Amino acid sequence: MDIKSVLFSGVGGQGIILASAILAKCAFKKGLMVKESELHGMAQRGGSVVSHVRFGNEVFSPLIPKGGADFLVALEELEGLRNSYYLKPSGIVILSTKKIIPQTADPSLNPYPEDAEKRLCADGFQVRTIDSFAIAKEIGNLKVENVILVGALSSYLDFPMELWEQAISDSVPPKTVQINIEAFNKGREITVNI
Amino acid sequence: MSSVDIIFPTGLSYSFFISNLGAKKDFFMNTRLLLIGNEAIARGLVENGCAMALSYPGTPASEILPAVAKWRNELNLCMHVRWALNEKIAFETAYAGSIAGLRTAVSMKQVGLNVASDPFMSAAYMGVKGGFIVISADDPGPHSSQTEQDSRMMAMFAKVPVLDPCNAEQARDFIALAYELSEAYEVPVMLRPTTRICHGGQDIELREIKAPLRSAVLKRDPARWAATPKFRYALHKSLNEKLSAIAAHAPTRPRLLNPGIKTSRAIVASGVAFAHAVEIAADSGIIENAAVWQVIQPFPLHTDFMENLLAEYTDILVIEESAPVIEMQLAAGHMVKGRMNGHIPQAGELLPEIIEDAMKRFCGLSSKPRPQVPATGGKRPCLCAGCSHRASFFAIKKTFPDAIYTSDIGCYTLGLNLGAIDTVLCMGASISQASGFYQAFKLGGTQKDIVATIGDSTFFHSGAAALMDAVVQDSRFILVVLDNSTTAMTGNQPTPASGLDACGNAVPELSIEDIVKGCKVEFCRVGDPYDLPGFIDLLKEAHSHTKDMGVAVVIARYPCLVDKKSNGALHERIDMYVSDLCNGCGYCIKQFECPAIEHDAPSGKAVINAEACSGCAICAHVCPQGAIKKVGE
Repeated sequence: MDIKSVLFSGVGGQGIILASAILAKCAFKKGLMVKESELHGMAQRGGSVVSHVRFGNEVFSPLIPKGGADFLVALEELEGLRNSYYLKPSGIVILSTKKIIPQTADPSLNPYPEDAEKRLCADGFQVRTIDSFAIAKEIGNLKVENVILVGALSSYLDFPMELWEQAISDSVPPKTVQINIEAFNKGREITVNI
Repeated sequence: MSSVDIIFPTGLSYSFFISNLGAKKDFFMNTRLLLIGNEAIARGLVENGCAMALSYPGTPASEILPAVAKWRNELNLCMHVRWALNEKIAFETAYAGSIAGLRTAVSMKQVGLNVASDPFMSAAYMGVKGGFIVISADDPGPHSSQTEQDSRMMAMFAKVPVLDPCNAEQARDFIALAYELSEAYEVPVMLRPTTRICHGGQDIELREIKAPLRSAVLKRDPARWAATPKFRYALHKSLNEKLSAIAAHAPTRPRLLNPGIKTSRAIVASGVAFAHAVEIAADSGIIENAAVWQVIQPFPLHTDFMENLLAEYTDILVIEESAPVIEMQLAAGHMVKGRMNGHIPQAGELLPEIIEDAMKRFCGLSSKPRPQVPATGGKRPCLCAGCSHRASFFAIKKTFPDAIYTSDIGCYTLGLNLGAIDTVLCMGASISQASGFYQAFKLGGTQKDIVATIGDSTFFHSGAAALMDAVVQDSRFILVVLDNSTTAMTGNQPTPASGLDACGNAVPELSIEDIVKGCKVEFCRVGDPYDLPGFIDLLKEAHSHTKDMGVAVVIARYPCLVDKKSNGALHERIDMYVSDLCNGCGYCIKQFECPAIEHDAPSGKAVINAEACSGCAICAHVCPQGAIKKVGE
């Protein structure tokens, strides 16, 4: 079965559900079968969270098996590192360089990893780092980091720009469509020449 | 691409077994929509003439009712769509509609069915007139629940047929099946989705919405609707007869994925486990050497299916979540492999890789090695920056460091992180447990300080009854009602104090103070947890009342910051900074755990993350050194 699987990871509140919804809608508009799985409830209160999106001509399961993801879109470094086991060998990581330090991490016993990119590369994954926080700051809206990363992912997928724009317009509040499309384009520019 | 012809590897079309109810797999964009399972279930209800839908919010079922309300409002349908005080009341209200001949439904999470189990058991005996669907959403994992319990076991216990969809579209389609089944045999029918169905998205072909047309009629029949034990015996016998007939009901018969296969092996799956199994069977080639069945009605399992299965195959693997419901009915341990003999894990979610390994072992194939799951811990959930619950918990801890803290179900369960919670049992238990602890210690001649915390929605759900009881038992403790004027954890549904129903219409509103006073609680005061010193004084007053007077209730009232619908007054934002007085003791991080206060590794000191900070300024009271200050101070 020719299925593409994308895992989004981050912490609750970063907009994981919105990012996966944009991708799912775009694949759907392309005419593909889509299955996605998200988590609500306690998972949305700032804890580690993942969301699965799978699309292709025929998709049954909404979950990506471990070692089965083509792409990992990580909105946060530690969450990128922690979830890399979902990736296929030599899978692609779109990694935000953002760090959200767990309050429970004892800096002396369990320091926040400083070398996430290096460790992911050492495991054979293709890593693309994005300073989504700096870009979002430049755009003037800190809530668009998720869409910047979807933009970075988009260069790897064969969906036309107008479908992405439609998917974004369908997913975000009307007032923020333009800024989200700008965020998407900024992310896409970084990866477009690969 | 306007249309895609989808052929399964065996030559069987996708639509045959996933949606063989007339839907064609055509991508007409105007009739197909991406929906999550809960919206799909709601769509099924409005497409099939449901006239009354009731619910109490609970993950993973919370989005069903709002989606029903959305279509009701958009199409101006004549429907009663409401959040009820709790699941028992939601059930009884919707069931009355069914007795009056209307198609109705009640939705809840699995532990909600525990609350509604009393009417559920009796409704099975008495049966229905209009179609009545009980939607009980399970949470294998569990991701956001107290238990992994299987609602299908409750269906079996109550002797009610249950349908188990494998994806969102099937969940929608099973609503039609369930209403037909319910009306044909005059029984309640359970639809049992799981988290991966409820919060799994896919594209779905929309069907026409039918406005509910029937009008309510109640034909008096006290021998049935008010049956005494003698009549209940007769009703029980008639229920057994209905179940025998339902075990032969053609539309819900198990479906074979790969007809024509000659094999002695059968894989029998239900729910989302079947969706995983289909893909694994195709990818691994198992589809060529094992018959793969989908059970859509796990109880009662079809009699002829059971007989044929045990006659045609010698080796059977059953994959289902979360209890061995199908497996137990097959009752052939020597031939059947599953949860009861260790072939399927007995706890936790059935993830695709777990199913793959089980299927491959069953078919004598070897599994590929799996990537190691790194040991690095993740980030645990915590209360939002500026959440007033954090202030309340901090005040409680500071005022009564040695008290027993009983708490309840909601966002505020995260008070655990702050060390301000000792017990969480189930909805409403904070109050009865506080009462129980008081009485237990009193037997030994001691009076412990006890502080119960409960949210506003949970107080209405089942706290009020416990409070009445605590008063008449003469128990003494402090009850803090954490009132953020919304049902926050499940997505900010209104409470009975909101004055709004699920469709956004104005309704009478209740007051927590009035209820507390009606329970004969003499000490009932409202405080603002953002005013930390004032709130601590209030807790001390409450404490002196409990010493010899009884229960004292403090209502900690401040709006939920993530509730977009809230019109509650908020304090003005105050920017904060950490001054040089910080000695890096970590007290604020460990005891207050605000996402906006971070540990700065290079300096070893605390630092305010201005982007995350809500400006509540409560942390100004937290630092033992007084290092956290208001900007400009």
